[in-house]
Amino acid sequence: MIGHFVAQAAVIARRDFLATVATPAFLVFLLAPLFMLVFAVVGGAGARMIAESGEAAERIVVIAEGDFAARIEGADGRMRGAFPEMIRPPRLDLRAPEADPESQARALFEAEDIDVSAALYGPPEALRILRTATAGSRADYLALIADAARRDGAAGLPADRPLSAPEIELLERETATISGQQSMGFTALFVIFLLTLLLAGQTVSMLAEEKGNKVIEILAAAVPLEAVFVGKLFGLFGVAIAFIAFWGTLAAIGLVLTPDIGRILTALDPAIGLGPFLLLAIVYFAMGYFLLGAVFLGVGAQASSMREIQMLSLPITFFQMGMFGLASAAAGSPGTVLAYTAELFPFSSPFAMAAKGATDPQLWVHGAAIGWQLLWVTITIALAARWFRKGVLKSGPSVFRRVGRYLRGG
Amino acid sequence: MPTGSIYGILGPNGAGKTTLLRMLLGIIEPDAGTRQLMGSDQPRSKSYQVGYLPEERGLYSGMKAREAIAFMGALRGLDWATGRERADDLLAEAGLPEAPRTKIGKLSKGMAQLVQLLGSIVHKPDLIVLDEPFSGLDPVNQGRLEELILAERDRGATVLFSTHVMAHAERLCDRLAIIAQGKRRYEGSVDEARAMLPMQAHYTPRRSDDGLAALLPAEAVEQKGEWRFPVPEDGMEALLGRLLDSGYGIAGLSLERPSLHDVFVALVGAETVEKMEEGAAA
Repeated sequence: MIGHFVAQAAVIARRDFLATVATPAFLVFLLAPLFMLVFAVVGGAGARMIAESGEAAERIVVIAEGDFAARIEGADGRMRGAFPEMIRPPRLDLRAPEADPESQARALFEAEDIDVSAALYGPPEALRILRTATAGSRADYLALIADAARRDGAAGLPADRPLSAPEIELLERETATISGQQSMGFTALFVIFLLTLLLAGQTVSMLAEEKGNKVIEILAAAVPLEAVFVGKLFGLFGVAIAFIAFWGTLAAIGLVLTPDIGRILTALDPAIGLGPFLLLAIVYFAMGYFLLGAVFLGVGAQASSMREIQMLSLPITFFQMGMFGLASAAAGSPGTVLAYTAELFPFSSPFAMAAKGATDPQLWVHGAAIGWQLLWVTITIALAARWFRKGVLKSGPSVFRRVGRYLRGG
Repeated sequence: MPTGSIYGILGPNGAGKTTLLRMLLGIIEPDAGTRQLMGSDQPRSKSYQVGYLPEERGLYSGMKAREAIAFMGALRGLDWATGRERADDLLAEAGLPEAPRTKIGKLSKGMAQLVQLLGSIVHKPDLIVLDEPFSGLDPVNQGRLEELILAERDRGATVLFSTHVMAHAERLCDRLAIIAQGKRRYEGSVDEARAMLPMQAHYTPRRSDDGLAALLPAEAVEQKGEWRFPVPEDGMEALLGRLLDSGYGIAGLSLERPSLHDVFVALVGAETVEKMEEGAAA
């Protein structure tokens, strides 16, 4: 019987796989992430251009002259390089003071050719800073370099070069960082979630074709409904694997061509090792796909029209987002009650356990988790098939009738 | 059901024919009671030995005819290569040699129905279950289907089919069951069924008036000038003498064995049969 079950599920999986892959629509599906990437790149580039043009116009201004102005310029030159580019202060303009420096400073904020966010003026012993509402950090930076300039002056240090120039040695770290491992875990979690969102959600409409063209009765007569469900899940899983193989290959090529990839991978090295981690990520994707796919297949199988299926898509997406949120929270706080909850709850377990592999070196927990998830895949498919038999095929007595019969002692 | 026979299930719409077949095949579970298919109360364990044509026909429209037949065979344990070979042969025998590479969506409804029927026998099952197999077929294809059913029986298969068309059942069935409102009203051979009713007389008088009906048996029914009634238990002689003496004469007289239709009417009621025939005509 098991042999029949597997063979019949394979027949259905083969049909579904070929019916999906051998269509022009599959090409569109396969290349869909490309459209997303193109939009993201174009949109991102546009947004960056706008942001950069805005940033280029922003200025902080110091109204000073003589030795103090030179020391301000020197301090700015030394400190600016310590900031990463993303958070570096805007360009510093030095202006010679006019008759009324305060009016001069205030007037700067009305300038039409530049956006002044903070301005420092006044004698060194009584400096004042004007700033816009959002430029607190700019004002702090001006205060910092003004203070450094005054200290340099008080100590009689040269304004144009640092007091010390330590030798800097580049050190190659040979072990992973905690943050790197957590990043790796979260990345795996996110990728698995994204793929599950893309692929498992599709199972909701998988029985619509058979219900629409009446093939369901042929299948139900020949094959146990559980085998129909398993076959359908494997059929789409094959599609998912084709999708992952295509994009995975491209991603691998991209990684190989990335300069300094060895150093990056060392920093990200998962606690269980990169090889086992990647293998587990694939297994957990499969588990997540089968768990959520079985739920969605079972729910979608109850729908009697495409409109109902479309309506079901929203709660299904929310459910997936909920599982992602739970697993993400767990990944950010390993070893907590929340993390254990996410690891044990069957529908978030694949995501949470994938992230756990990055930070926890124990392997046995993954064996236990996969067994637990497989059990729930089986339970979910069995329940979905039973629900379909009862709800759609109207098979057997209703629950109420059974209860009534039981109460009557039948 | 005797092995190697053709067994019909007759009944008006809503009698429970399809439900009975679905329960028998394990598509649905009975609310109460038990069923056995080929000696097993787990019908799906016999799946590879059974072929099934459901009442609601359905195929994947994007599949080619030979693939559709091979697919249905594969579901019941036949390997794909053999399934394709047999599909080509079956389609050629059915007069559709061009069909194997044609997509189902491009076939006519009748041809698609034939493809589905071939899919239900491609794995050479021991039991073939056909739910209303003749509905939707033109007379030519109905004739082909009858030949195919007989050929399968001759091969050694047992054929179980449901219908509400008496003529098919009368021509094909070795045994049959008549069901109505979910209950079996008759089970036996066609001849045994027909023997349940007396011979039927068809009488046409030379003249007719209100007094004629009083002379005929109470069951007599007039239709277009011809009276039909069961032959009285004491024979026709006395009745004919009364008709001749009263001057009604005999323009026509024939005695016929009752048809399956007559038995069916007697079992399920004329009103039910009229509704069923109106439904079929619609």
